[in-house]
Amino acid sequence: MDAATKGAEVAHEEHHDEAHDQNYLQYEPGIWNWLTTKDHKKIGIMYAVSLALVFLVAGVLAIMVRTELVSQGETIMDADTYNQVFTMHGILMVFLFLVPSIPAILGNFVLPLQIGAKDVAFPRLNLASWYVYMIGAIMTCAALYFGGVDTGWTFYTPYSSSTGGGVIWMTSAIFVSGFASIFTGLNFIVTIHKMRAPGMTWNRLPLFVWGLYATSIVQVLATPVIGITMLLLILERTMGIGIFDPALGGDPVLFQHFFWFYSHPAVYIMILPAFGVLSELIATFSRQRIFGYRAIALSSVAIAMLGFLVWGHHMFVSGQSAISSIIFSLITYLIGIPSGIKVFNWVATMYRGSIWLQTPMLYALSFLFLFTIGGFTGIMVGVLAVDVHLHDTYYVVGHFHYVMMGGSVMALLGGMHYWWPKITGRMYNETLGKIAVFLIFVGFNATFFSQLVLGAKGMPRRYYDYVDRFEALHQISTYGSYVLALGLFIVLFYGVYSMFFGPKAPANPWAAATLEWTNVAALPDPHNFVRTPLVTRGPYDFHLADEVFGSGDGVGDGQAASLDVPEPAPAAPEPSEEAPQNA
Amino acid sequence: MSHDSHHIIPFKTLATVFGALIVLTVLTVVAAALPLGPLDMPVAILIAVAKASLVVLYFMALKYDKPVNSLTFSVGTLFVVIFITFTLFDTAFRGDLGDVSSQTVDEITRQETEAGERQQQFTPEQMAVSPADYEALQNNESAADTTTADTADTE
Amino acid sequence: MATDTTTDTPAAPAQTEVDLHDEEHLSHLQHHFVSSEQQFDSAKLGMWLFLITEVLLFSGMFVAYAVFRQWHPETFAAASQTLDWQLGGLNTVVLLASSFTIALAIHFIQKGEAMKSFWLQVGTIALAGVFLVVKYFEYTSKFEHGVFPGAMFDPHGVAHGVDYGALASYAYAPQFFSIYFVMTGIHGFHVVVGMILIGWIASRTYRGHFSSEYYTHIELSGLYWHLVDLVWIFLFPLLYLV
Ligand code: HEM
Ligand SMILES: [Cu+2]
Repeated sequence: MDAATKGAEVAHEEHHDEAHDQNYLQYEPGIWNWLTTKDHKKIGIMYAVSLALVFLVAGVLAIMVRTELVSQGETIMDADTYNQVFTMHGILMVFLFLVPSIPAILGNFVLPLQIGAKDVAFPRLNLASWYVYMIGAIMTCAALYFGGVDTGWTFYTPYSSSTGGGVIWMTSAIFVSGFASIFTGLNFIVTIHKMRAPGMTWNRLPLFVWGLYATSIVQVLATPVIGITMLLLILERTMGIGIFDPALGGDPVLFQHFFWFYSHPAVYIMILPAFGVLSELIATFSRQRIFGYRAIALSSVAIAMLGFLVWGHHMFVSGQSAISSIIFSLITYLIGIPSGIKVFNWVATMYRGSIWLQTPMLYALSFLFLFTIGGFTGIMVGVLAVDVHLHDTYYVVGHFHYVMMGGSVMALLGGMHYWWPKITGRMYNETLGKIAVFLIFVGFNATFFSQLVLGAKGMPRRYYDYVDRFEALHQISTYGSYVLALGLFIVLFYGVYSMFFGPKAPANPWAAATLEWTNVAALPDPHNFVRTPLVTRGPYDFHLADEVFGSGDGVGDGQAASLDVPEPAPAAPEPSEEAPQNA
Repeated sequence: MSHDSHHIIPFKTLATVFGALIVLTVLTVVAAALPLGPLDMPVAILIAVAKASLVVLYFMALKYDKPVNSLTFSVGTLFVVIFITFTLFDTAFRGDLGDVSSQTVDEITRQETEAGERQQQFTPEQMAVSPADYEALQNNESAADTTTADTADTE
Repeated sequence: MATDTTTDTPAAPAQTEVDLHDEEHLSHLQHHFVSSEQQFDSAKLGMWLFLITEVLLFSGMFVAYAVFRQWHPETFAAASQTLDWQLGGLNTVVLLASSFTIALAIHFIQKGEAMKSFWLQVGTIALAGVFLVVKYFEYTSKFEHGVFPGAMFDPHGVAHGVDYGALASYAYAPQFFSIYFVMTGIHGFHVVVGMILIGWIASRTYRGHFSSEYYTHIELSGLYWHLVDLVWIFLFPLLYLV
């Protein structure tokens, strides 16, 4: 084997010579090279820019929704406009932002680095994924131009088969961008199966990789169904095929089955990679081996599978049969188990660890708190009898914002801060970072806890007006959303600033033990690793990583200087040769 | 370079499989013509599954392939089955809560009246459940009213 | 060192015992793979994953079929009588034959007989063409009698002993034909894509791009083509027979 791997070294020697002192950002610069790059790191960044734009637009729409609701009656827009605004907010956030977010940005950038691969298995498909996504985004703009969409992000028939001019464009956009999601998922599964470095066994995969693996399974299995659903909806509108439209003999509840067969698993597309990010953050910033590695890894896969069996909990009051409501409700309870296992494991990992409260860790802690609320409220709406009252109220709105924003977006932000030094080679401003987390956390809870209360009191969702007794809570929610937005803008500000003026980052600022930190230069090489690493330990074996971090022996004082950086894994051919970039 | 995954399937095997597929096709046509009644559908599906298995195992060579590919395909098939089954749980029993005939309504009304009468036998202290109930008791209000208290101001 | 890497799970696939000096000269090996074995396995797993997305895409249609059939069994029985099972059966045999030929094409390229493989691929395309022609006649004979998908459904007339007019008395006959046209339509689209794909592969085979050492593209196209066949294996009895 030694000889073989050495052969690989020889085969790629010429690459290294020309690119030796180069990092991936300097390598092949220029807009054309970027647009045709097959480098997973650059594709990740291209996705990051596109998704940031979508997030900005969808965020502005959210602020408009909240502003309209700050007082009774018409505040800044009429009812029809309101319908379009909240619909576009939902569609953009779900289909064009949150579903791709963590896999496409962080997954693309980090996955090959974490498993010691030169790239994903199909680099061209990866680039195609971005282009397909962009086509979807352009079609979304077309939908707005041709009359907009006011169906809500769920496109329920029969309303969606008759209203507005933009629905066909929007559903086509979702059909198309579904392929982007499938490409990413397919690529990641193959990459994880086939591209791991020598010694990177399944039990040594970082948990982020496990999270992405589970996510990819869901992406591959569920996304085609939203494809056929959207296709049938388009045919329903254009040819009146009568599958979903009751006026033509179709069944609108069947549409909901189709829709939720995708969209419930899709919520796991959003949260599973977030679980993965969280495991990295908690382990690294607690300087502890993760508690219950296997339980966390396998519960992700279990959630991915179980997630396909509960879609009917969105249809308790849609007129589905009582027997299926009961079955779906019971299985929904089960979902709480693997989610709970994870939360307990993370907490146990922190127990007696030396917790280092840097910004990424603060996001991780926010996640723990917010996701737990989101999960509990999820179980509550999963209870058949309770949901009859809570369905289509602000309680559901509160629930899913706690999991989607409090869970996925928090993890995304935490992950962005954590990998920012690796992506940009610069450090962000820690103080501003902490201020921003604080604002985001407080703003978030003000915005959405009040919505849980509103919902419990009976405020229905998707209305632009309400009665007196809801006014105070709506106002709290709106002002909270302004605080939240302020926090996010601060992140945007110091993020952009740090790209140009931030201090240069060391190769491993967090003293993390996974490959992208130990074996990769501060700014990665165009081909990731100068020498393919040989993995000899688990991803969180800080104690095996050569130096011992005692629990709580002064490491938690926030001083990066006091941290010992783990040794890099040896290069595959000659373990004695140290990869040169690790000072 | 010889890899075990690149198994060359003998011509004879492929031809036999093709023959079997044709036979099964004839069989399914014949079976459809027979008056099998309720068995029609299961038989047709069974034959189709047999044909599909032959194609997957031999033509697509899954039998000789890496286990991960078989796993992939099986999981995919499993979720198709789940999709169909769980949707049928709804559509096959649609309306099972639809029994709201006047008889049912009468019965419910009777039970409610009975329950209301039973409540009359208890004192407000016995009926109190929430802190608000006890507060109301101290203010000499009826405990049962607290549930309507917060909706009252809107009317 | 070797002991370090052996654990309870199989060794990482990146370690392959391939003579890398051979590999260096293989033009088809992409730089991020270690060996052509790894590249081939990746491509194959990728293809299988793609195939299950296809299966799930079709599953939506099968669900719609199951639901409406279960609700309206008499309608479905009557409507399916108007489909020509002989043409459907013919098409089944044609597709099975095309599956056979593409399987043989792989068989022969594995043995290094590229030209045989080429002609079998051409044969596959020809059979696919036959399938589409038959389908065309089936469709037009339906359209002539107003049997359209969806809102335009307006059956009339009698032909070859089939009373299309009688369909009008079934409230849910349009659903059957919507499902029929959408299913066979999407399937037909896949047939067309398959023809283009195999056409491209065939031209590469002709130009000698493939050998017994390297034929990934043929094998993957074959997998795709078998899937098209697989879907039809279910469509035929469900739509034409029961
Ligand atoms: C502990 C796990 C969870 C359970 C038991 C659960 C349960 C539920 C239930 C029963 C509903 C339907 C409520 C109704 O419409 O009346 C619901 C809605 C929703 N959930 Fe969850 N959920 C969980 C986790 C998540 C996660 C992790 C996400 C996303 C990241 C999520 C996103 C949503 C969304 C978007 C909706 C609203 C859909 C709509 O617009 O109607 N949920 N959840
Ligand atoms: Cu759900």
